[in-house]
Amino acid sequence: MAEYYGTTVADIFKTQTERFRVEGAEGVDAVFAYDISGDGGGRWKVTVRDKKALTEKVDDGDLGDFSVKLSTDAETFVGISIGKVDGTEAFTGGKLRVEGDMALMGVLPRLFVKYTPPGGGVTAQDVIASLPERFRPDRAGDLEAAIGYDITGGGGGKWTAVVSGGKVTVEDGLRDDLSMKQTVSAKDFVDLVLGKLDPMVAIGGGRLRISGDMEVAAAVPKIFAKFEPKGAEKGPELIVLKKTISVDMRYATGPVMGRFLEALKEKKILANVCPECGRKQLPPREVCAVCRCRVDDFREVGPEGTIELLEHTYYASPDPLTGETRETPYGIIHVLLDGCSGTETLWHLIKPSDLGSAKVGDRVRPVWAEKRNGSIFDMLYFEKVD
Amino acid sequence: MSEEHKYCSVLEGKLALPYQYFAGRLGSRFIVSLRDAKKIFGVKCNSCGKVFVPPRRTCERCFENIENNVVELSDTGEVVNFTIVNYADRHLPRKPPFVLALIKLDGADTPLTHIVEGVEPGSVSNGMRVKAVFAEETTNCILDIDHFEPV
Repeated sequence: MAEYYGTTVADIFKTQTERFRVEGAEGVDAVFAYDISGDGGGRWKVTVRDKKALTEKVDDGDLGDFSVKLSTDAETFVGISIGKVDGTEAFTGGKLRVEGDMALMGVLPRLFVKYTPPGGGVTAQDVIASLPERFRPDRAGDLEAAIGYDITGGGGGKWTAVVSGGKVTVEDGLRDDLSMKQTVSAKDFVDLVLGKLDPMVAIGGGRLRISGDMEVAAAVPKIFAKFEPKGAEKGPELIVLKKTISVDMRYATGPVMGRFLEALKEKKILANVCPECGRKQLPPREVCAVCRCRVDDFREVGPEGTIELLEHTYYASPDPLTGETRETPYGIIHVLLDGCSGTETLWHLIKPSDLGSAKVGDRVRPVWAEKRNGSIFDMLYFEKVD
Repeated sequence: MSEEHKYCSVLEGKLALPYQYFAGRLGSRFIVSLRDAKKIFGVKCNSCGKVFVPPRRTCERCFENIENNVVELSDTGEVVNFTIVNYADRHLPRKPPFVLALIKLDGADTPLTHIVEGVEPGSVSNGMRVKAVFAEETTNCILDIDHFEPV
């Protein structure tokens, strides 16, 4: 279908109903008929009644009764709809003809939100071409890198942005000595640049692939200023404040958790054993969760154990003891300490450098903090036993 | 201490609550005006004539949409009520004691809450004339008016 300014006539009618503004339709009862000639044209009818809008394509024959009819060619229609062609000029120049109740033309802008093409008409090439002017030498420091863009699909291409001597130059094609390369479809690339696609979602879903030097990859968003589409209507500035409230917390251990934490100072891990069912609770609890009887019998377990469950965490919630957000990824493990059985596992962290190789079934031991003050992090984490 | 309480202790911790606050379309215009033009505006209801500041979209009495009836207000006004804040919290804008006042700006019908400085907290009184002092370093919030001080 013929595109004008990157948009087809059908695109505009397809979105007509969703662009409808109920608040603008008070008291409007009208049928708008459209007779659009030329490649990609056709006939459509838009009925606005009882604060509802109905859009129909009239494939054959006559448009029937209407309140007002617009006749124009496809290019002019798209041009007016997206604001590239002045409607009044098209009318006085004879390119747009109106029959029926002319006053309804004035009502249209409050009935429908203006059509905006997806991506605002931005192409991958626009984005690449703007790299040199968006470059921020102050943030790049003495970075030297060749960044490859392998943009696939329609509107794509292959480019290399060379960062060197505080400048960026764009070359066609991919260099052999790329520092890093991103591979992504043209549509996703534009959406990423315009902030419509979350990079983590794109990477997670395999739609954006990054290879090479990850340090360079991490630097790219910082060394280029945000892309601003040319000629895009700039909306009013909207203010969003991002803040973090930090609330002081005090946690009373009670006698049982207190005893467990106190023992950590002596590099001892205590579980307590139910006098009735014999199961161990770790960390200890005052009452057996099954038998509901008081549990006073404390026994030392571990310190070595076996990983029963391992979880790589990429989305960090704040650490409740510090209010800081941990570095990701980190590994959460459930350890079955020696002396425990079944589900009597202890939750803790795996040593960051062991995260890549640790697996369920590995033997681990706690790494104790130099200074221990009776907190769960008197054990820094568990490390693999060689 | 009894044997039972021997092991009891209290751990200090923090809970971080990240959040986003959207000022709204009209609220954003209000803040941008404070930040860039150093001007305070309100909105006027054409039905009842009341001038609201901070601006709001809808008149609370007439339910009219008033967001575009912008009225520029004076940066001077009168303290109509106040309190002296005497507790410290890292989320408060000042160290205690400081004065939070309801200030009716000249030309407005509703009061704006803000800090009054340049006067001993004990000497603030209702009816006191004050003037806005705009912040030199702006932060995209109501503190782009840094405080009010007596005229």
